[in-house]
Amino acid sequence: MPVNIIVCVKQILDPEIPSRDFRVDAEQREAVRGAANLVTNIFCENALETALQLKEKSGGKITVISYGADSTEDALRKALAMKADAAIHILNDGQAHPDPLSVAQVLAAAIRKLGEFDVVMLGRESGDWGVGQTAGLLAEELGVAAVAFVDKVEIGADGLQLKRQTDVGYERVAATMPLVISITNDEHNVPRIPKTRDVMMSFRQPLTKWTLEDLGVNAAEVRAGNHYYAVVDLFIPVQELNCEFVDGDTLEARVEKFAQRIIEVTGSM
Amino acid sequence: MMNPELATREVFWNIPHSLVWVMYLMFVASMAVAAYGIYRRVQIWRRGLSAKRFDRPLERLKLLLKHSAAQQRTVREKYAAIFHTFIYTGFIVLALATTVVAIEYDLGLPVMQGRFYLYFQSFIVDVFGVLVLIGVGIALYRRAIVKPRKLVYTDEATLILTAIFLMALTGFLVEGWRIGATDEVWGKWSPFGYLLAQASAAMLSRNAMRAAHFGAWWTHAVLVFGFIAWSPFTKMAHVVFAPLNIYTASLRPTGAALKNLDIEKAMESGAPLGVKSLAQFTWKDLADFDACTECGRCTGVCPAHTVGKELSPRDIILDLQKFMHANPRAAFGLPNGNSSNGNSANGGDQAASRKPQAASEALPIIGALAATSPAALWQCTTCGACMEACPVFIEQMPKIVDMRRFLVMEEADFPDTMADAVTSMETRGHPFKGTQSTRVDWTEGLQVQTMAEAKDAEVLFWVGCGGALIERNQKTVRATAQLLHKAGVKFAILGREEKCTGDPARRIGNEFLFEMLAKENTEKLNHYGVKKIITSCPHCFNTFRNEYPQYGGEYEVFHHSEYLAKLVDEGRLAPLEKNDKKITFHDPCYLGRHNGVFDAPRQLVQIAARNAPIEMAQSRENGFCCGGGGGMSFIDEPKDQRVNQERARQILATGADIVAVGCPFCTTMLEDGINARKGDRDVRVMDVAELLWQAVQDSTTNGANKN
Amino acid sequence: MNDVIISLFASAGYDRAAQGVAGAGRRLAADCGAQLHAVIIGAPDAAMKAAVAAVADAVTIADIGDYQTEICLSALTQICKTLAPQAVLLSNDFYSQELAPRLAHRLGGSAVADGLALNLVEGKVRVNRSVYGGKAMATIELQRSPAVVWLRARAFDPAPLRPEATTAIQPATLDLPTRVSTTIIERKVEAGDEARLEDAKVIVSGGRGLGSPEPFNELQKLANILGAQMAASRAACDAGWVPPSWQVGQTGKKVAPGLYLAVAIHGASQHLAGISDAKNIAAINIDKDAPIFKQCRFGIVEDYRKVVPLLIARLNALKK
Repeated sequence: MPVNIIVCVKQILDPEIPSRDFRVDAEQREAVRGAANLVTNIFCENALETALQLKEKSGGKITVISYGADSTEDALRKALAMKADAAIHILNDGQAHPDPLSVAQVLAAAIRKLGEFDVVMLGRESGDWGVGQTAGLLAEELGVAAVAFVDKVEIGADGLQLKRQTDVGYERVAATMPLVISITNDEHNVPRIPKTRDVMMSFRQPLTKWTLEDLGVNAAEVRAGNHYYAVVDLFIPVQELNCEFVDGDTLEARVEKFAQRIIEVTGSM
Repeated sequence: MMNPELATREVFWNIPHSLVWVMYLMFVASMAVAAYGIYRRVQIWRRGLSAKRFDRPLERLKLLLKHSAAQQRTVREKYAAIFHTFIYTGFIVLALATTVVAIEYDLGLPVMQGRFYLYFQSFIVDVFGVLVLIGVGIALYRRAIVKPRKLVYTDEATLILTAIFLMALTGFLVEGWRIGATDEVWGKWSPFGYLLAQASAAMLSRNAMRAAHFGAWWTHAVLVFGFIAWSPFTKMAHVVFAPLNIYTASLRPTGAALKNLDIEKAMESGAPLGVKSLAQFTWKDLADFDACTECGRCTGVCPAHTVGKELSPRDIILDLQKFMHANPRAAFGLPNGNSSNGNSANGGDQAASRKPQAASEALPIIGALAATSPAALWQCTTCGACMEACPVFIEQMPKIVDMRRFLVMEEADFPDTMADAVTSMETRGHPFKGTQSTRVDWTEGLQVQTMAEAKDAEVLFWVGCGGALIERNQKTVRATAQLLHKAGVKFAILGREEKCTGDPARRIGNEFLFEMLAKENTEKLNHYGVKKIITSCPHCFNTFRNEYPQYGGEYEVFHHSEYLAKLVDEGRLAPLEKNDKKITFHDPCYLGRHNGVFDAPRQLVQIAARNAPIEMAQSRENGFCCGGGGGMSFIDEPKDQRVNQERARQILATGADIVAVGCPFCTTMLEDGINARKGDRDVRVMDVAELLWQAVQDSTTNGANKN
Repeated sequence: MNDVIISLFASAGYDRAAQGVAGAGRRLAADCGAQLHAVIIGAPDAAMKAAVAAVADAVTIADIGDYQTEICLSALTQICKTLAPQAVLLSNDFYSQELAPRLAHRLGGSAVADGLALNLVEGKVRVNRSVYGGKAMATIELQRSPAVVWLRARAFDPAPLRPEATTAIQPATLDLPTRVSTTIIERKVEAGDEARLEDAKVIVSGGRGLGSPEPFNELQKLANILGAQMAASRAACDAGWVPPSWQVGQTGKKVAPGLYLAVAIHGASQHLAGISDAKNIAAINIDKDAPIFKQCRFGIVEDYRKVVPLLIARLNALKK
């Protein structure tokens, strides 16, 4: 049974940027890119990997969608190199960090414009803002069911068999399509490294580009990207990274202080 | 006494004239078979891609004299030094003697006469014949009794030794019985033959000796001509192929051994990236397979093999050799049984002229052969010890990288942790995923300018990812910068603009990524007009020196040890305090063996230390890898098969308190290895720059500048 | 109207997380001058019922059986629509995280995840949360009402008790869908006792400096007192002193405990990469230059052999 899969990906600031290099622009309430790179959010890559594995078994098609600035093209090219079938770039020419409802509305409009789909896969959250809402809101926008924190997708008797991680173990979910699922990482969905040949080929593949106007969304509202929530402050918490070496005249006194500090931090949790 | 000026002997004595032609027939036939054997192999090589290996004939001739004629590498091993020299020189002398006979008899020139006959044709030939016998004896003893692990034990090898032994023995019998039967007056000039004659005379009549001579002569002839005909089909082919292989060896340092790969062109033509089948090897690679003498030295010195891993460079070469001869056409994607040789290579570009579909149909090699299993290919540290050890100059390591290229670029099939390093190089420009450091953390408190800031920098200090991003090595690069400051060198760094040179990417097999980094870096360096580079990373050093020129990056490159040694020589740095610890020096492969820089770092140790440095048994060209090259520092080695721990064992065995190094990868690999093995001993790993920095400070500033 | 709803699962009981949610709810309700309304999903036992009644002004019980996403979402939506709250607060359990954004959408409100602090500013709820992998903090103002927030529940103080327990406890009247497109068909609890190292709140970890496997027994005692899990550096695992599953670091597990106590761990960057999300790192190490101290909130420079026995004794005394 061929499955028509849509994977939504997001390009983010490299989460591995060392703390000492990390700056924020308090005015814009955004992180400063500086010398850091942009990467595809890891959970989105887990989602694409899950989709690729599903397609390898079921057949079908994978369309990757991303809503983002010009640089987002890189993330989509990489998805193509990983062997997604098609890529759609919806240009974000508005607020750099739009609220999740704006994003979900854009993605929903794009998916409707594409027509039929069986399953939409998204990463559980992004490594920058960690909002963790896009999948849920997208399901509501599309009016379909959703399953969160899935780490394995298989073809079931009557749709899909999903395995997902819970606080204490795992659950299996039987689901009929259409469906939105959010993907979490697992040893089985470590994103594949694209083959060099495919990387080079990806630069020659077509990339669909849509603007907000193409989608029939409320472009002004979506561009502002703050009708759901607004970031009113962004700051780097002052860290006293200076290690406090416990002092005291005797070893016993120092251990006493050490023990007290342990109680303080464990008790406050 | 008879006049020695008249000494000679009769050629074909005791052989009826009517039968001599049989010998000539055998000669011609054996030569024809041998020639066919060689031709057949050469024909297969011609299916390989082009490689420029006949340029600079004078240098090649020099190499040939050193390593083929004088056998400088062969004699490095104590057994081979004796037995191979005996057999090799014996063969030459005996061949010369045969030539003398041919000149005398066939050309009718009287050369086998007089004192020459006595000194050379009799005495020397006799002595060298004995040496051959002794040599074969030693070789047999080594195979049967000593049994070194690095050898392969084949019937062919035993048969070859037996055959040589029998040839020499029958030669002596022919000589001895001739002397005995003819009561040869000059017989004593052939001492061993004379002894045989005396011994035979005790048992045999003259006529019996004469008859025995007849039989021995023909046996000898059959053996010799049979051996000549058989040789090209065995490892004895090295008699021809070893000199050829040495003549066509690479004239560049082994650090420049990796081949260039035109990725764009391969993409267009559809040829595989890297080596998928024999069709992607050059003719020289294929010739390498045939040149192998199975001596096993490459495997014997291979660090991965030493610690018990699967990798064996010799078996890679031999497996590929067998594969090539078992499938001389299919291995190259040629239709079988076709007489036409449509692929004759004449130096042109083979990838283009070969039909693409033919190449793709060629039998794949990786994984199809035991020795080329991906598991083994991912154990190579690219240390180059195999190439340095090979007496016939086979290039094993680049072939491993060729095969890795295919696995990485066409199959994306390589170890996960290596993949992490590659991904990190792609996205962050350094291979150290998860590092908490930035490229300029180490400069804290030092007045280090970047190229963008400095207007008058005369030299660029290329810090390297290993130096800047691994906390341990920040001490090294800090010491280097402080030394440069102290000596008044106007230098600058690239700071955040610096990116990995691509060495790990290239050696892991991602040539595509290497090319991107190389282009980006050379562009940046050229933009700043950089002329001179100092780097404390031998991997960067090697890349700049041997690999960037083709990307338009031509710089004068110094390893920091070279530059610092120069500063000391010029009196710009003066050591005040000497370290009284026992110090040994570990040669980084990419500084030492791959680029021949052995003395500068030792000079720094000498300057910094009160005692003379301890030399390890495996040092300089024969240095043993720390285990970190070739992307291997990004792999979790099995606990009981760690190269760094083996090197640590060797270091600890010297009794040194400090092991001096000159490479960030060696520093961390050896520190890990030594910590795991040192027990209660206090053994430290220190970069030569750290040692020198310690030495140039007087004790009053010593504490203040301690990092 | 304008009440604050807290959504609790009967299966978890009135645990520390539920107490934190209730505490956050009570304080927000006080700021709004509104009531605190608890919704319990599932069938609570008597103890939970009493405990919730002791802190909330009203309690609605939605006994809808085992959790099924679409049914639970429908139930919560109906209850919230009836109550028209100012805010709906949930815990950081897995189901709450799944429900929050969809619930917000159905209620026409706004959701935010992983709240660390709640404030009411000019009638709008503002939530503080950690972003960029803990490198920055953001304050987010929810533009639509109700505010649906799942909280890092244990970070909030428990709710004060009401003068007397509420009697306004009633079952929800619900009209639930009979056909849904997703069904949880298997629930599996893995290794109940052995919680995942990645989720551990306190971790005691040993390194190469311990020198042998035996000291891990001492560390285990320390861990028992702290309710901590045990971990180790790669060197200790490689030496075979402890199982490889204990390994924390770049090639091992990435952990995020409230306290990571590193004993005789030097702190190679590969190890530090695995503990960068720890909220507090403390170390016992004989080498004051050990890189681990650069990541520490507090530390003691001393031979662990001297410190650990004393520490065990002191902690035992302090706990009592």
